[in-house]
Amino acid sequence: MTPDANAAQMRQAYAARTHRRYGMMGLVFVLLALSFLLDITTGPGHYSLSTVFEVLSDPMSHGVRLKVIVWDYRLPVAITAVIVGALLAVAGAQMQTILNNPLAEPFTLGVSAAASFGASLAIVLGISVIPAVGPILVTTNAFVFALLTCGVILLATRLKGVGSETMILFGIAIFFTFSALLALMQYMASEDQIARIVFWMMGSLSRASWEKILLGALLLAVAIPFSLYRTWPMTALRMGEATAESMGVDVARLRVEMLICISLLAATAVSFVGTVGFVGLVGPHIARLLVGEDQRYFIPLSALVGALVLSLTSLISKSITPGIIYPIGIITSLIGVPVFVSIILGTRRDRLS
Amino acid sequence: MTLEIETLTSGYGRTEILHGVSIPAIAGGSFVGLIGPNASGKSTLFKTLAGLVAPHAGRITIDGQDVTHLRRRQRARQVAYMPQAFGCNALLSVFESVLLALKQSSGWRVRSDHLDQVSDTLNALNLSHLADRGIADLSGGQAQMVAVAQTIVRAPRVILLDEPTSALDLHHQLSILTSIRSEMQRRQPVVMAALHDLNLAAKFCDRLVLLRQGVLLADGAPEQILGLPEIGETYRVETDLERTARGALYVDARLPA
Repeated sequence: MTPDANAAQMRQAYAARTHRRYGMMGLVFVLLALSFLLDITTGPGHYSLSTVFEVLSDPMSHGVRLKVIVWDYRLPVAITAVIVGALLAVAGAQMQTILNNPLAEPFTLGVSAAASFGASLAIVLGISVIPAVGPILVTTNAFVFALLTCGVILLATRLKGVGSETMILFGIAIFFTFSALLALMQYMASEDQIARIVFWMMGSLSRASWEKILLGALLLAVAIPFSLYRTWPMTALRMGEATAESMGVDVARLRVEMLICISLLAATAVSFVGTVGFVGLVGPHIARLLVGEDQRYFIPLSALVGALVLSLTSLISKSITPGIIYPIGIITSLIGVPVFVSIILGTRRDRLS
Repeated sequence: MTLEIETLTSGYGRTEILHGVSIPAIAGGSFVGLIGPNASGKSTLFKTLAGLVAPHAGRITIDGQDVTHLRRRQRARQVAYMPQAFGCNALLSVFESVLLALKQSSGWRVRSDHLDQVSDTLNALNLSHLADRGIADLSGGQAQMVAVAQTIVRAPRVILLDEPTSALDLHHQLSILTSIRSEMQRRQPVVMAALHDLNLAAKFCDRLVLLRQGVLLADGAPEQILGLPEIGETYRVETDLERTARGALYVDARLPA
């Protein structure tokens, strides 16, 4: 074949790949929209889709009771599921890239355990790390502990000779430390306090509020453009540290920048809903299988898949037993794990589709 | 275009690896072979030239301009370095991974001339049949050739290749070095390659630089360098330089008795 024909063929293949990626993003977005709509129409009270829509467009159209159900309960829960899913998945995707480890996510690196300990500290001893926060004591404590843990991970990556395997081991050490401290808290706690700790740890969307939604949305609005601004160096990092550096990427600086970004995302997500495992792992893995690792598509799609997974979880948590809403942390682990295992075993080795 | 290296001292932390290496006036369009045994400072010299290791002392100039103070990204635009480590498990196509080497600025869009540059480079290195393959699925030799493509696609003024042929079979060793030579004819960059195969170095290089324990021992034409007694001493072998019936240089090496 002539060089020109070759060149045309290569460009065509690249263009086709690019179109496929936009298609995937569009598809997941549509699924997310459907899941979101189903989520706000599902719940202990049975109301039709049209009724819910009427309340959405005119809050008082069906009376105060429906306004409260839709606007103060269902909508915040559904939106929180989407936002927290996106936060966790983006945090997981970036952790996996900068630590070059497919197992990295807020849960495996001990961030969730630290947040749980922070929350239990507030529940049992009423100790706040930031004074005068009043009603959001538990959330603030969880946030601060999650953030501190990310800070410790950040410092550890700055140490010389700390590879990505060491980082994961380090995360496991953090996980066990905080699990032990948490057990200590539970030992000291009253029955009522234990119940609150356990409930917090299970991860629940019922703690949704419009303030949290605003905060989470703002964070995503900053984090996603920032990640997109850094997509090329991040993709280069996937080629290996030495190659990225030879391409002109300041790897040490990129790591610090991204870890600060990840810290905020992970700490916010975990402090909002408690321990929700696997979304930070499943979101990026599915996204990677669908569009590969060009971060221009990988990061947004991770966010979309993470949002979809948590939105579906929210839907399932309400649908299993009518009238009962199960904690989402239980659902993500129970359903997420088999789905996840079948995905990774099904593809055996990650392949570029 | 001229690259000059003056009394360059470099290393990691306090450990000094290169001790005052000077390589005068390397003209654009010349292929310099860096030879020397393992741990002689070849990779450190490349990393220092590429700006990944800060020199302790000395100067690196391109056309008289000191490049040691350039920022990482500007430096990478002038000096492209192919590290020894290659191959990875990233889910990217070969085309994308070569495009990546060009696209180090921010921005979502990919320029059309960048796509042209990538397909030209892949064509030049006979890699067009791999363009749509995943880089994780390549063989060691294919991954190494893609790494070479990532380096030369940037059309830099200085190309540094750390053992570009270590994973290649005989055909591909010759084919990649021939492609690099024809690429040099087009753009006239300085090419420096660390090579372990002295016969390959003799065949493709215009000039050879011999390093031992971070010190430059000799610098000159292949014929001159490969005939020096220092070659045998440095590699701890006995050598004779011969000419084959076709006129090519041949280093006959054996272990000392």
